[in-house]
Amino acid sequence: MKRFYSSFLLLLFCHLLSSCEEVIDINLNDADQRVVIEADLNNLPSAQVIYVTRTVPFNDARPHEVVTDAVVEVTGPRNNTSNFIYSPEHQGYVSRSFSARENSTYTLRVIVDEKVYESTESMPAQVPVDSVGMLRENIFNDTYYFATFRFQDPAGVPNYYKYNVSVDGRPFKFFSVFSDKFNDGLYVTHQVGSVDNDIDINSKVVVRRQSVSAAVFRYWDELQSTNPGSAAPANPTSNISNGALGYFGVSSAMIYEFDFSTYQEISIQDTLQ
Amino acid sequence: MGYSTLSSTVELNKNVQRSFEISNAEKEIEEIVVSASSRPNQVRSPQMGAVKITTEEIKKVPVIFGEPDILKTIQLLPGVATGNEGSSNFFVRGGGGDQNLILLDEAIVYNASHLLGFFSTFNSDAIKDVNLFKGGIPAQYGGRISSVLDINMLDGNKKEFGVEGGVGLIASRLKIDGPIVKDKSSFMVSGRRTYADLFLKLSNDENINQSKLYFYDLNAKMNYKINDRNTLYLSGYFGKDDLGYSDRFSFDWGNATATLRWNSILNEKLFSNTSLIYSDFTYNVRVNSNDNDFGIASQIKNWNLKQDFTYYGLNRHSIRFGVNVLNQKISPASLNAADNSTVNSISVDTRQGYESAIYASDEWKVSDRFSMIYGLRLTNFTVMGPGTFYEFDSDGEAIGEKQYGREVVKNYLNLEPRLSMSYQLNRNNSIKASYNRIVQHLHQLTNTTSSLPTDQYVISSMNIKPQIADQVSLGYFQNFANNGYEFSTEIYYKDMQNQIDFRNGADLQANNQLEGDLLFGKGRAYGIEWLLRKNRGKLNGWISYTLAKSERQFDQINGGEWFNARQDRTHDISIVAMYELSKRWTAGATFVYNTGNAITFPSGKYQLDGSTRFYYTERNGYRMPDYHRLDLSVVYEPTPEKKRFRSSWAFGVYNAYNRRNAYIIDFRENEVNPNITEAYRIALFGAIPSVTWNFKF
Repeated sequence: MKRFYSSFLLLLFCHLLSSCEEVIDINLNDADQRVVIEADLNNLPSAQVIYVTRTVPFNDARPHEVVTDAVVEVTGPRNNTSNFIYSPEHQGYVSRSFSARENSTYTLRVIVDEKVYESTESMPAQVPVDSVGMLRENIFNDTYYFATFRFQDPAGVPNYYKYNVSVDGRPFKFFSVFSDKFNDGLYVTHQVGSVDNDIDINSKVVVRRQSVSAAVFRYWDELQSTNPGSAAPANPTSNISNGALGYFGVSSAMIYEFDFSTYQEISIQDTLQ
Repeated sequence: MGYSTLSSTVELNKNVQRSFEISNAEKEIEEIVVSASSRPNQVRSPQMGAVKITTEEIKKVPVIFGEPDILKTIQLLPGVATGNEGSSNFFVRGGGGDQNLILLDEAIVYNASHLLGFFSTFNSDAIKDVNLFKGGIPAQYGGRISSVLDINMLDGNKKEFGVEGGVGLIASRLKIDGPIVKDKSSFMVSGRRTYADLFLKLSNDENINQSKLYFYDLNAKMNYKINDRNTLYLSGYFGKDDLGYSDRFSFDWGNATATLRWNSILNEKLFSNTSLIYSDFTYNVRVNSNDNDFGIASQIKNWNLKQDFTYYGLNRHSIRFGVNVLNQKISPASLNAADNSTVNSISVDTRQGYESAIYASDEWKVSDRFSMIYGLRLTNFTVMGPGTFYEFDSDGEAIGEKQYGREVVKNYLNLEPRLSMSYQLNRNNSIKASYNRIVQHLHQLTNTTSSLPTDQYVISSMNIKPQIADQVSLGYFQNFANNGYEFSTEIYYKDMQNQIDFRNGADLQANNQLEGDLLFGKGRAYGIEWLLRKNRGKLNGWISYTLAKSERQFDQINGGEWFNARQDRTHDISIVAMYELSKRWTAGATFVYNTGNAITFPSGKYQLDGSTRFYYTERNGYRMPDYHRLDLSVVYEPTPEKKRFRSSWAFGVYNAYNRRNAYIIDFRENEVNPNITEAYRIALFGAIPSVTWNFKF
């Protein structure tokens, strides 16, 4: 909600005052390296990859430092352990045997330089989508395209949703997480666009919708609400032990494809979301 | 032009009652009148850490958009730091923005800013004077641990009608005052409205030209003299900001205050002031787009009954004592959805408490050289039901809850000693020392750099302990050139208990278990302030310099190490100069320089989901770039053509040398090579010219 007003106010002010933006040099300290684990596992047939990296100094030419010699394993509900092996092709750790089942509990174990990083998460059940659609919006003279998902939110339980979007064959990118804090048990519409706003009327868009756990929602919610207006930006709260950055989640996922060239303008919907 | 100041010495050895009539000060005599006598003699008064500003001074200081502003002017004083660029938020001696008690005719003003803080809620047309206390705070004040900003509205002329106003680029103002019954009763009404939204109407875009963006203020005061011994005062303020996008989104917020005061002379030794005061701050949001149809409403309000006595019966003593009871009520943002809406209605428990206080203080002239103000304030805060109160574990998870009916949930009793002493070395030099303890029960939760109208307020509860500050200060005061110059320096140390911060990702909106997201720690602030003022002659103004430190410590933040508070600034310099070029032309200049705020920047990076993310280590371990700015103004007052009608033109430039001060610094991937990361800055304002036409008749 708060993000809602502040972005509105900022938007308004950017239109009223021609504020100027300029690249500057800032001396930033080099901190000790931290281990980063990104384990966003799901029940899709595609390869399940766990990324293990280290942080690098801000001015480093590399985006991160890949750890290739970690031990990575995930233990499932009947103590069946899947080993994830480093794959240079993926720059991450891949398992052939891992399969995820709804409502089961999984434990991640990563060993880097003899330090053990662990996390345990349950896989939430998929919330089925009733209908999908496409939407065009005009906000302050700019046009935005969205894929829409309509569904019945299960009442009485907290539900969390995460959307990643691929536009015109480019890699999937995180768009947003949603919770049902304000619409528990209602018939809900999610509008899913692209953070880069690169969807146009000819785009082919693939959306990955995941039902995620509270910890994964919290991680991404903190990441997406960190902005230069925050009083004190911080690393998002990780559900992995021993001070690792990143998160571990096992989610139910579905893939949806949209071809915006087939978009039929039934009525112009100017909305503000 | 305002009123001339009268001073008269009354020997209180026999019954005397005198009436004074204040007259409009003529420009020609102003030079004589606004001499040392208009200001309390800083060397002789035992009060320290205090500054008094008159509206005349405020109106002479150049400011942004040409709107004279009290809060912008006090930010130019030592020990008072600004929030963001153009913000009316202020921080006194390392304290937080919510630790200032802002009073308008005794009524608490919760949110003193308009439009993200570019304007304060105080229309200077309606203001008589302003007293700021940074330390040695007298016992009649309580409730905020950093400072007291006591603002008084103009009373209105009892003799004749007057109209005063101004037309500026951003806003227009109009004030009318005069007698209701001559010599018995008078009134003052003053209004101001901005018209930025008129420009929006020029847009071709239907959504934009139907949008709203304005604020207005209304001040009114009247008094009625019942007889020579009794006078009634009624004053009020109402202000509102209104923002709207098309007809789908609207957002308004504002303060309202009302004060009824009965001033009574019980006998020649005992004076009484009885006040009934109300004030509130509300905001409303309305969203109506697609299937979303809901409103959000929030209110914070108080009723305050005060009885204050001043007793002059003892030689060398003036004694002030009294009692007040304040009912504080917070209705946090609740969401009200239409039946067919895609969101649910949410209501959050209303919280209320009673803040009661008794106090007594004595200004005692011990000897010709030594004087002091000593006092004691006893406050009791009662947290009242009904409501559900939660208990939390160390991770902020609720582990217990208890329902309360209309009953007492918790009591906090605190004793607050106050002391301010002065020893006069000779006629022109004195040293002063002070100590005060203050307790605060209302806490504003801000997790952005600029305080927003939507910031949540909480009162002390089982989990939230009252904030307590202890401050000691020592100062040296000197007047020279026959009181034409004033010099002062003060050194202070402030200890703050039960300060509030947030857990990562704290959910502050519509959250019944919000208190679980709060963290509690301590703070310390210390510094030294210098102020040199010139009060007479063609050139007036001051130079102020503050060297200070403000730190916080929370077990769960920064590994438990002390860290700089955001508003911590090492150096803070302000130079204010007003020069009378001729009878018609007056020039003004303000220069400010300060060390950048403490801020959290990343100390590394990593990748997640294919994008660069930033790795943060120490809290507020970095600094924004140094801030500096020069503002200029020129006021031209043509010779009046008609006797009564006077007008003037005020031209100004904010940020005259177009310094690109950083408003925000952020980090991003380089567009060409996303592996490389870069820092960029956003500057809000370049040089901004302004022109205002003021009139008076």
